[in-house]
Amino acid sequence: MEENLEYIDAYFQRMLKPEEIRRFERRIAEDPAFAEEVAFYLSAKQSLKAEANQEKKERFRQLLAQQAPVINMDQNRTGKKAWLYRVAAAAAVIVVGFFAWSIFFSKSASPQQMADTYINKDLKTLGVKMSAELDSIQNGLRLYNNGQYDSSLVIFETISQREPGDYLPKYYAGIVYLQLGNYEKALQYFRQFENDTLYSNPSLFYQALTLLKRNLPGDKQKARELLQRVVDNDLGKKETAQEWLKQW
Amino acid sequence: MNLFNKPTLSTDEREIIDSIAQNGVERKKGEERLFNRYAYFIKEAVYKYSVSEEDGFDLYSDTILSAIEKIANGSFQGRSSLKTWLYSIFHNKYVDLLRKKTTNKSSIHQTLSISDMLLQVSDQSKTIVQRLVDKTDWEILRDRLVQVGENCRQMLMLWADGYSDKDIAGLMEYKTSDVVKTSRLRCLEKLKLLYRKT
Repeated sequence: MEENLEYIDAYFQRMLKPEEIRRFERRIAEDPAFAEEVAFYLSAKQSLKAEANQEKKERFRQLLAQQAPVINMDQNRTGKKAWLYRVAAAAAVIVVGFFAWSIFFSKSASPQQMADTYINKDLKTLGVKMSAELDSIQNGLRLYNNGQYDSSLVIFETISQREPGDYLPKYYAGIVYLQLGNYEKALQYFRQFENDTLYSNPSLFYQALTLLKRNLPGDKQKARELLQRVVDNDLGKKETAQEWLKQW
Repeated sequence: MNLFNKPTLSTDEREIIDSIAQNGVERKKGEERLFNRYAYFIKEAVYKYSVSEEDGFDLYSDTILSAIEKIANGSFQGRSSLKTWLYSIFHNKYVDLLRKKTTNKSSIHQTLSISDMLLQVSDQSKTIVQRLVDKTDWEILRDRLVQVGENCRQMLMLWADGYSDKDIAGLMEYKTSDVVKTSRLRCLEKLKLLYRKT
């Protein structure tokens, strides 16, 4: 039975290959005793985690008792902070005014600004199908739309590992990494379906978008070339690419 | 000047994050530094949110525990300062507390949720496992953790806390990570037998 635990451990530590993952999950559905083992593994880990956290809380309590005077000192500072807040508020008004002025009077948005606007507007939420059907991609999208990027990422990456031929989980994993500011990983995912035969492949557009956000030397030029390829080859997001190139 | 490329973390914050992310002996020190640094949030919660000192402590320590987990698993990206990020978690915890108080929900279901670990499991299997987990007698399981022996308990707790077998080997002075893995699985098996004996 210890072998079962080793097998379960390997699954949760993501050490199994795609075919083994499928076999593991099939076994949960077909073998009730095995499913019990998996449930025990998870319950035990969660219970242990709760214990570990409880011990840490006790340690924190002791630390707090040791540093009580420090906290009081910080608290005394709050009165002095009041006028600082007023100064900060005034400064904030000036900064906001400046940005508003820049937006209204600047000639046109820079490529980086266009990328920011696109991410904030078009990628803030992603379309979810209205269906009661249990679909992990849809669950991932719901988590994404709730701002639970880490959880949605686990779903998209797991599906991508399990279904290496499907471009969608890679596309969504790339978008989550883009939102998290991990541009290397975002590029890695977007590049993975660059050569897939799709009706309207958005890979190059998203690579360009990521490069504009990363903004390392040479990224802007490379992004422009990619957008040009999107337009020339009639690829996904062609209209947006055309718009951006016009304003470049 | 590109405002977006400005580093958001101070050297001190970076040090704290690095020591927690190391997951070895430095992690404990990093956790304590993190807790001490913003402990004044507790007093602020008492004044701002009108919570008791005890609730303030719970809110803050839960905030730190959740931050430690995110830093250790690499999901904190440093896009804002550590303080701003912590404060947003702290505020969310406060909202959870309010919700819990108004709905009178038991906290145990929150603490013992396994939903994060199940995220990687396909939907059909997830439902089966979740149903079985729901049947767990948490009190008995907790009780059996004591009976499993101190060494096993320590090792399993480190594992559940995200330490790798290699880290555990360093912390508990085992020769190799393979020895830790074998011992850890044996301890888990022992715990299972004790639990099922009930």
